This record gives sequence, C-alpha cells and structure tokens, in this order.
Amino acid sequence: MMEVPENFDHSEGRTFLAELQPLLQSDRPRIVLDCSQVQHMDSAGIEMLLNCMGEAMKRDGDIKLANLSPVSAAILELMRVDRLFEVFNTVEEATRSFQAVTLPDVPQSLPWYSPGFGPDDLKSAS
Amino acid sequence: MGLGAIVVIGVEDEASCSTASQEASALLSQPLACFDVLGRSVAGRVIERFVRADVDVVSLLVLDGSCIVKPRFVGFKNVDVQIVSDVYAAICEKLKDYSRDGIEHAFVASANAYQETDLLDLFYFHRESRQAATRSVDCQGPLNLWVVDCSKADCSKARPSDCQNLLAQAQTSSASYFIREYVKRLMHPRDLRQFASDVLRGCCSVRPPGQEIKRGIWIDEGAEVHRRARIVAPAYIGRASNIMEDTLITRFSNIEKDCCVDYGTVVENSSILQNTHIGICLDVCHAVASGNMLLSLGRNVVVEISDPSILRANGAAWKSAPAKDRKRANNGTLFSRRKLKQQAVSELQPVAGSAPEPCGLEPNPIQG
Repeated sequence: MMEVPENFDHSEGRTFLAELQPLLQSDRPRIVLDCSQVQHMDSAGIEMLLNCMGEAMKRDGDIKLANLSPVSAAILELMRVDRLFEVFNTVEEATRSFQAVTLPDVPQSLPWYSPGFGPDDLKSAS
Repeated sequence: MGLGAIVVIGVEDEASCSTASQEASALLSQPLACFDVLGRSVAGRVIERFVRADVDVVSLLVLDGSCIVKPRFVGFKNVDVQIVSDVYAAICEKLKDYSRDGIEHAFVASANAYQETDLLDLFYFHRESRQAATRSVDCQGPLNLWVVDCSKADCSKARPSDCQNLLAQAQTSSASYFIREYVKRLMHPRDLRQFASDVLRGCCSVRPPGQEIKRGIWIDEGAEVHRRARIVAPAYIGRASNIMEDTLITRFSNIEKDCCVDYGTVVENSSILQNTHIGICLDVCHAVASGNMLLSLGRNVVVEISDPSILRANGAAWKSAPAKDRKRANNGTLFSRRKLKQQAVSELQPVAGSAPEPCGLEPNPIQG
C-alpha cells in the first residue's frame, strides 16, 4: 500500500513514481494506492497513474485505488479515469480484493467427483 | 400614486451566510444573481419583472466590489444603477428620494431570489393591511421582498438603522404576503443549476431565449453546434458558444454564452457558466463549471483545475493569460487532439503482419 501525495502534480509525481518503481518491478505487483490525502491532482498526475497501471498489468499485476478524497474522485471522474481503476472505500477492502482473486489450493489426492458420494456408496445403495 | 422598486445585489441572505456562501465565493467571482442562467442573470430577471409591472422607477443598488455593473442592467428603461458601500443607508436615501418625488410605495427586493408572484397583488395586499412594511414569505420562510409605505415610514427623516429596523419588523408583523407561485432562492451555486433545470423542465414561466430548433433544444444567437455533436432535449446552448464534434449535451444541461465544449466531451446534468472552455474527452457530470473551477454537486466539493487544457476561462481572461499556459492548452498533456487523431488514424491503418493469411484452396480431406 502506498499513499498518494497531497499535491499529485508533475514534480511530486516523479518523487512518488521513484518510490513506487521497486514495487512495480516485482513479479505480479499488487498495489493499493491510498488517495485520501490528495487535494490537488493535474493531468501529469493522472498520466503517471495510468503509466503505473500499464506497468503493473504488463507484469500480470494490478493497481487499485482506495479511500478517494472528494477532490481526487471528482478529478478522476472528470477525466474518465475512474472507470479504468478498481476503486474501494477503504484500503482494507482493496487489499482483501487482491486476496479474493487467488484460488485456494486443492489437494491433488482428492477425486474429481464429490467425495461424499463415491462409487462405494453407489454399490452399497444397490 | 407612484410606485418605485429598489433591487439590491451583493447582500447575502441570513440563511446563506454559512459554508454554502463560502463555497460560492470559492467557485465564483461575483454574486450568484449576476451569473447568466439560460441567457439572462437572475438580477436581470428580477429587474425585468418590476419593469413589466409598470413600476415608475427602478433603482439598482450594487454593493461595492461585489460585481461589475453590466451594460444590460443600465439598458432597461427607468432603471438607475448605483454602487454603494452601505446598503441600508443607500436604501434609506433612495426611499427619501422617492418620498420627495411623490412616490408613496416602494418594493425593496434582493436579487438573490427569483419569484413569480403578482407584484401588483402584493402591493394591493400591503395597502389594505395598513402597515409600514409588508414582507413576502413562501413555504420555505421569509423572502427578501418587501413593500414599504414611504409616508408611514416617514422616510424623509429616517436614518439607516430605522430603515433596517423597519424591514426587520415586517418579518414579525402579523400580515405577511404568502407567495404560492414559483420561487428560487440563490444561496449556493447548486441553486443556479436547480434554476436552470426548473426552467428547462417548464416548472416556471421563464422560457429560454433563442431558437427552439427541436422540441426542448434551445440554441441562442451565434452558437455553433457541430453536426456530429449530440444534444438531448431539454438543453440550452448560449450565445456565441461552440459545441465541437462528438460531444454529448444531455439531461437538462445548459451551456451559457461564450463557452466552448471541446471534442468528445460529455456534459450531463450540468451547468457551464459563461466564458468557460471545457477540454476534450471529459465527463462533466452533475456539476457547475465556471472558468477553471468545477463544483461537483454529487460530492459537494469545489475543484480548481490548474491545467488549462482541461478547464479554463474563455474570452478576455484567457487572452491575457501567460503564453506558457496557452501553449500548454493547445498542445494538451494527456489527451491532446493531435494525439487522439493520430491514435484514430493508426487504428484505421492495417498493421503490417497482422493481416489474415489467404486461405489456400487445398482439396477437401473429407471429399478427397
């Protein structure tokens, strides 16, 4: 999880991007950006967000936005970027959404059919 | 028997002296009553109603520094405009002048509310009730519209505080005039949006100016609408505005005069106030935009857009803007028109190597 700076413009965005870069370089980066502090965001900031999402998706990862401040929500909606990101009310919800995607490991020893009603049950029934 | 009217611009209602007015001042540089809504400001409409009611003289008192007195206020017949620093002192002076000129009754109104009551009926009600001042009320409470009896108020000797007391006492007096007709108070920029929506819905007697090119679509003089732009009724496009290709104007939206809505932008349930340029490929939804400020009504937040390619003031303000900003707006940063066109052209061109290979006419394995 990373917090987006209050003034998310070209100069602040570069610093932010430098901090985010190691996460983006990892395998399947799953990043949640907390936008609660954002009070100003310009098109350079939006472009940076889109680039980050592009980088994350190239590595089979994703970036999700959480806790949008009213200003950031209004700007993202104005620039039609809100529909490109998954947006959550809280950071916890966003984090949980990443966990929900991963499927639980199924033991290979289990048969493909329902274990509660196998061939033995059929025999005993007849 | 003469009848006068004093219209005041720049004085806030008691109810609006709150965070709402702070938001309004953050968004707008002048009082809400001075902004055009469907081609004419509410102040202009209030004055027009007095002129139509055959009031002998209308005095417009503008609080100093609150707004620029526009030529159209001066353009009315029998309307004199005065810039004042103390409103109550100015009202008192005006009432004295009226009294001296033989005008016995005067309307005193704030331009912050538009009402469609019968003004002569209000006057007759006041005369029959035999009180110094009569205040009008509606279902939401008292309105800043009074009728003052100059002779009973003894205006020739009155002081500003007496005048203020007189207007205040009218609220507590037993006989107030109840307005059943349409009333719109302007306390917040969202009221401008609501007023525009009400007019387009036909909730009041105001009709948008210009030509109704299709049912519910009004295009004012000099406005240009691209043939690929889509306007869904009801909507209003103001004087000399420019609606570019692939835009969508829908759900009771009004674009005021000298605005530009650029390529691919959607304006939905929004008011674009005068001299505003909306950039390309944007979604302006449930909002009021003025210059580079955007009030999102859904989120109740005012956003200042520093990027001139997205949102900016048009006209004289833009011409005096720094050359750097103008260059930036022309080039754009994220969605420039050039980028979009290049993208569109590249999508149309066939990509080398991606064309499907021609099917070989080999013998059918089934038929041999």
